[in-house]
Amino acid sequence: MTERTEQSEGHEDMPGDDSMTERRIGVYVCHCGGNISDYVDVPQVIDGVRNEPGVVVAKRAMFTCSDATQQEIERDIREQHLDGLVVASCSPKLHTQTFREVARRAGLNPYQYTQVNVREQCSWAHTDDREGATDKAIRLVRAGIARTGRTDPLEPLVVQTTPKVLVVGGGVTGLRAALGLARIGLGVFLVERAPELGGWVGGFGAMYPDGDRGRDLIAQLVADIGKHDTITVFTGAELVDKSGSFGNYQATVRVGGDSGETVRLDVGSIIVATGFESYQPQGGEYGFGLPGVLTLPEFKELVDGATGPLSYLDRPVRSIAYIYCVGSRSPVDKPDGNAYCSRFCCTAAVHTSLQTRALGGGVHQYHLYRDMRTYGKHELLYSESRRTGDHYLRFTEETPPTVESDEATGGLRVTVRDHLAGTDDIQIPVDLVVLVTGMVPRDNADLVRTLKLPVGRDGFLNEIHPKLRPVETVVDGVLIAGACQAPKTAAESVTSGLAAVTQSAAVLKKGSAALDPLVATVDADRCRWCTACEASCPYGAITRVTHDDHEIAVIEEASCKGCGGCVPLCPEQAIDLRGYTDRQVTSMIDGLLEAMA
Amino acid sequence: MNYDALVVGSGIGGMESALKLGDMGFRVLVVEKEASVGGKMILLSKVFPTLDCASCISTPKMAATIHHPNVTVLTYSEVKSVRRDADGRFHATIRQKPRFVDEAACTGCQQCEMSCTVAVPDQFNADLVGRRAAHIPFPQAVPKKAVIERAGTSPCSFTCPAGIKSHGYVSLARSGEYEKAFQLILESTPLVGSLGRACYAPCERECTRGSVEGPVPIRRIKRFVADTHYGSGAQGATAPESNGTTVAVVGSGPAGLTAAWQLARKGYQVKVFEAAPRPGGMLRLGIPAYRLPNEVVDDDIANLTELGVQIETGHRVDDLEALREAGFAAILLATGTHAPVRLRVPGEELPGVHSALSFLRAAKLGEPLDVQGRTVVVVGGGNVAIDTARSALRLGATRVHLVSLESRAQMPAYSWEVDETLAEGVVLHDGWGVRRITGDESEVDGVELRRCTAVFDADGRFSPQYDESVLEELACDTVIVAAGMSADTAAFADLVPLNRNRTVQVDRGTLQTTVPYIFAAGDTVTGPSMITAAVGQGRRAAFMIDRWLRGEPLDAAEFEIALPMVDKAQVLARQRAYDDRPPIAAPHVDGSVALDFAEIEPPMSEDEVHYSAARCLDCGVCSECHECVNVCPANAINLDMRERTVEAEVGAVVVATGFTLFPADLKPQYGYGKFANVITGMQMDRLLAPTRPYNTVLRPGDGKVPERIAYVMCTGSRDKTVGNPLCSKVCCMYSIKQNQLIMGALPLADVTVHYVDIRAVGKGYDEFYEQARAMGANYVKGRVARIEEKENGDLVVYYEDVENGGVAQAEYDLVVLAVGIQPNREAAQLFADGDLALDDYFYVAESSASLNPAATNIPGVFVAGAAAGPKDIPESIQHAGAAVAQAAAHLERIRVSA
Repeated sequence: MTERTEQSEGHEDMPGDDSMTERRIGVYVCHCGGNISDYVDVPQVIDGVRNEPGVVVAKRAMFTCSDATQQEIERDIREQHLDGLVVASCSPKLHTQTFREVARRAGLNPYQYTQVNVREQCSWAHTDDREGATDKAIRLVRAGIARTGRTDPLEPLVVQTTPKVLVVGGGVTGLRAALGLARIGLGVFLVERAPELGGWVGGFGAMYPDGDRGRDLIAQLVADIGKHDTITVFTGAELVDKSGSFGNYQATVRVGGDSGETVRLDVGSIIVATGFESYQPQGGEYGFGLPGVLTLPEFKELVDGATGPLSYLDRPVRSIAYIYCVGSRSPVDKPDGNAYCSRFCCTAAVHTSLQTRALGGGVHQYHLYRDMRTYGKHELLYSESRRTGDHYLRFTEETPPTVESDEATGGLRVTVRDHLAGTDDIQIPVDLVVLVTGMVPRDNADLVRTLKLPVGRDGFLNEIHPKLRPVETVVDGVLIAGACQAPKTAAESVTSGLAAVTQSAAVLKKGSAALDPLVATVDADRCRWCTACEASCPYGAITRVTHDDHEIAVIEEASCKGCGGCVPLCPEQAIDLRGYTDRQVTSMIDGLLEAMA
Repeated sequence: MNYDALVVGSGIGGMESALKLGDMGFRVLVVEKEASVGGKMILLSKVFPTLDCASCISTPKMAATIHHPNVTVLTYSEVKSVRRDADGRFHATIRQKPRFVDEAACTGCQQCEMSCTVAVPDQFNADLVGRRAAHIPFPQAVPKKAVIERAGTSPCSFTCPAGIKSHGYVSLARSGEYEKAFQLILESTPLVGSLGRACYAPCERECTRGSVEGPVPIRRIKRFVADTHYGSGAQGATAPESNGTTVAVVGSGPAGLTAAWQLARKGYQVKVFEAAPRPGGMLRLGIPAYRLPNEVVDDDIANLTELGVQIETGHRVDDLEALREAGFAAILLATGTHAPVRLRVPGEELPGVHSALSFLRAAKLGEPLDVQGRTVVVVGGGNVAIDTARSALRLGATRVHLVSLESRAQMPAYSWEVDETLAEGVVLHDGWGVRRITGDESEVDGVELRRCTAVFDADGRFSPQYDESVLEELACDTVIVAAGMSADTAAFADLVPLNRNRTVQVDRGTLQTTVPYIFAAGDTVTGPSMITAAVGQGRRAAFMIDRWLRGEPLDAAEFEIALPMVDKAQVLARQRAYDDRPPIAAPHVDGSVALDFAEIEPPMSEDEVHYSAARCLDCGVCSECHECVNVCPANAINLDMRERTVEAEVGAVVVATGFTLFPADLKPQYGYGKFANVITGMQMDRLLAPTRPYNTVLRPGDGKVPERIAYVMCTGSRDKTVGNPLCSKVCCMYSIKQNQLIMGALPLADVTVHYVDIRAVGKGYDEFYEQARAMGANYVKGRVARIEEKENGDLVVYYEDVENGGVAQAEYDLVVLAVGIQPNREAAQLFADGDLALDDYFYVAESSASLNPAATNIPGVFVAGAAAGPKDIPESIQHAGAAVAQAAAHLERIRVSA
């Protein structure tokens, strides 16, 4: 490492540290209410950095991100003619954009600002060592100052964007999203793997909350989509490849199975709405496999298809037991189960039981639950169910109910310990047992690989941030919506689909997008085209060109993510990363190691 | 104003809507009723299930909203109504509430906040602590600009005819700022000490505390303030630079002196002419020294002379034109009512019959009439008659009869003063009129009285009727007539028109006479009145004279347009938890008081002043003490700001009015508001927030760090008894979040949650619940029936224990009520005639939630976030996204069709 540092210093013709004194840098250290100042002595940090070369302003603030402090920074930049800005507060994930905007508004190049993380990487990590945390904070801020002193103004890369969106998945979420995009004036390609549009909802009868029939909803959406010539629908089709970069993706769709033809589509963003699978109980789980033990989707189909009192296998159904949380909320000691709550199933089961009651026949219904999660307005369905005579019995995860065949009646027998009525086991003879099964993530390994989609611990696709960017993924321009992200009801899925429409339009309606210029650059004179960089690039951003009679690497800037993976691999030190140049990074290390006063 | 979209509300749903519409290129107007954008999320500690700091997530959105080039934000404003026209466009009427702070000038330095003398519960800290009337809503407020909360004018200040900021000086006295209180009164009048004694204090009759335990003794606080100032030898005001213009004031009573003071403060050279040998008018010549000592009047007048006002006594002005010619640019006539009204009965001309005015004047000037050992009959039922009777006693009269035309109950004199007078030994003959005064040419020997059957006629005019058959005779050797006073204006009659009662004719608004350079004020204009009314006239006259001299129009001038008086019922409703604070006992006068001219009323002690001023209910919130005005380095405070109404035309509306929290006192069995250590979930979030009020988690009752903390889930949710059968969705999760934060902040604390169902629905939510259980929080299934408080503030919770069966009780240090959320009913008021459809529970109805979530029954109107139903933050944000997608589609459609 040392050797490399010397080398880079040598070939970069680095000016001495004297140049630092010509810089005018403002440093702002945040208390974050107490998130930082409870564990770091902020005034001491100010004292420790105020005499660093180039620093002309060193201040602290209760909330640096507050509008008032933002305005103070802007004022300082203008009045003190700052040419560098260091904010020491939280993770750059939170506020990099915030302070870049501050710099921009004040006339400072946004890339001459450095975010120093003294919260996640300092105060929160060292709550037991105030002195050590303070020392570390000083060093981190010094490193930030050193980097800032070596920044050059950079301009964002502006790319023209394609006003079209690829929607992957033709269920209720994808269909509604496609319609929403078209109505805002964006072109849409809708890709559905199955031969028919509609997904799960397309097979449903009445649904909560409004009692609409799923089949009707889908039919209406499909009809509406047919009226838009800006929507192109591919059924029996799959997304098999994606290239290009943010705002200008090229998607390859194969239509008609493995041997089918492929279509290349230019799109600005991609909305993934691939939905969910229903949990399939293992054999024997709550009697699964016994005649009369159904999953929720199986039961729903039975009920949707019935026109009068329910019967199953030609026997009238007079009593039903619903067992909740099947495949959901597994205890931690059962690592193969799903730890998450599937959210929709409590309400779905209650709703279906109300449908069943409405069919007549005076059926007795027993709901064996852990927590009834009919949240929000869905509570009304639960109230209605209890009012009309359904029985609710609570069980705990330690004492789950059991299901057996009842030889005497030819039906089923459910045994459960009822905590509401006492602590004795009670036995309930029933005709049907409905396993209230939850949602599980779809197996979409190919799609995940093609789009580099982030997958969470629960197997569902992951957003960047549930509150700040709930439908975006870490891949710019690739959005997720509906139950592929987490269990959701149909209405909630549609809501997130429309949120993804909004997010797409917020970018694509402008016609162009500004990308970070923090990308790799190649020194054409040094490069020998050894292909080491090309092989290392996960984004396919490096290609070969001929330059002055020899071949060199060139970076496709819109594709480069600035990950820096190629930089240390280059044997000629021909690659540098803008914003994180060797010169800047070594100066940061020096800043970290500088002796404490 | 023309925009593409109007977003009502700037909580997380409103901000998200505005930002995304702005990003798409639409021009957006955001209207927020609070003084900062951010809604409720910014007030939270951390947010579930990621435990992100709520501030850290909210503040960038808040700043982005304010700075977005396509977004205009009106804070502290309310949408009054939205009308949809035939073309489907919307016309919004927006009320911009006055901040009383110039937003452009305010730097957010908080000087005003630190100097403000009024504390009210801080709604942004869930009322756990106080804040000032002048305040910045919270540390991360956007914009970070001060706002001064004014509910209206406080009744005391509103009522004061002198325009004195009564509430202001009471609040300053409460803070121990007596000199500042004195200076505040000086803004109105120099007669601080005199009014502190002789004012009949209409303010106290209006005091809201008066309708509870008794009014704040506002006048006596003023007296304390004056005594403190004069007693300290503090320097008076220094004269401003002269503007070279001279003004003459004729008459040195309350009106003349106040006008002279106001003009001198503006730089005029003022000369006051006084016919009497001493200045002060009625203060110096009419009010007996036992009520108003001469020294006090002298001190008050010294305020003027220190300012350079010249007072020439013994100079009776008869020729106003001559004054004008002598160089006075304007003249104020303020000669009062110093001509006695006669009884017009036989014998009135006899020796031994005097007017009350001359009697009182002689007494005050130290050359009293000799009534020693005499029997005196005072005729009259007003305050002057009372002053006369009591003065006669003090001058040695053996017996004093008070003859009043009116019955005891109808006497115009103040009842308490009549009581004191009778207690001193004066004999009252009420309901009698004087028929004649008897005596020979050298001496009066009695009065003959006749029964008065009515004082006023049917129209309320003074027209006494007598029953001549009922007569009575009183033997006496002196008669003093206090039958009224009138203006003595004969000398000016040729120049300025007079009314029939000899008062000067003026324009009531400008106080200008028909001769432009002559103004008139005080009793000369109004007839006999109160000191405070005369002071008020003097101020008005000075204001108008100044304008006239500067060549500005008078009739258009607005002199002190106060905010409307605050509604007292609202004040009392607001002060839900004020202490019972009885007034200090009024000084009681009985026969034991020495009958001399020493001041009767004792001064208040400083303790009494503190106690009494602290009884003030701060009716108008801001007390108009002007401390903020004085300290603001940016001169940004403007208490004369008034509400403005603006109109906006938009193509689409997003209703993001959010929710309100269930008022926990509606579940009285839980004791919220009664038991100090029963708090709400929002209060616990404040206790845990980075901007937490106590910088630690402690219980409000006694500041103890709680070791046993209970949660009562479903407070106000899933509860038909409070009219809300819905589940509030967020309370389970915010409680679980708090459980984790508490266990982090207070490692020794035990947390117990009494729940019905734990509804951890959402990505990572159930895992978050399991994490809290693993950390040691104890979840007990079963409802809480009631809570009782022990003497030490601990709480006994009676609850159902479902898992173990039966009912049980447990003691806790602190109980947190997990209050649910309710629809914000303001959403329904936005559109005329209830056009916007609501659901059965008053949330904005989504007409087809399955396919068009966020669409309402009105085309072009969308709902975002919890206005449509209980939602957590991620749901609100996504719901806003759905609203925006459809609003954008609507805007595209109307753009294409237009």
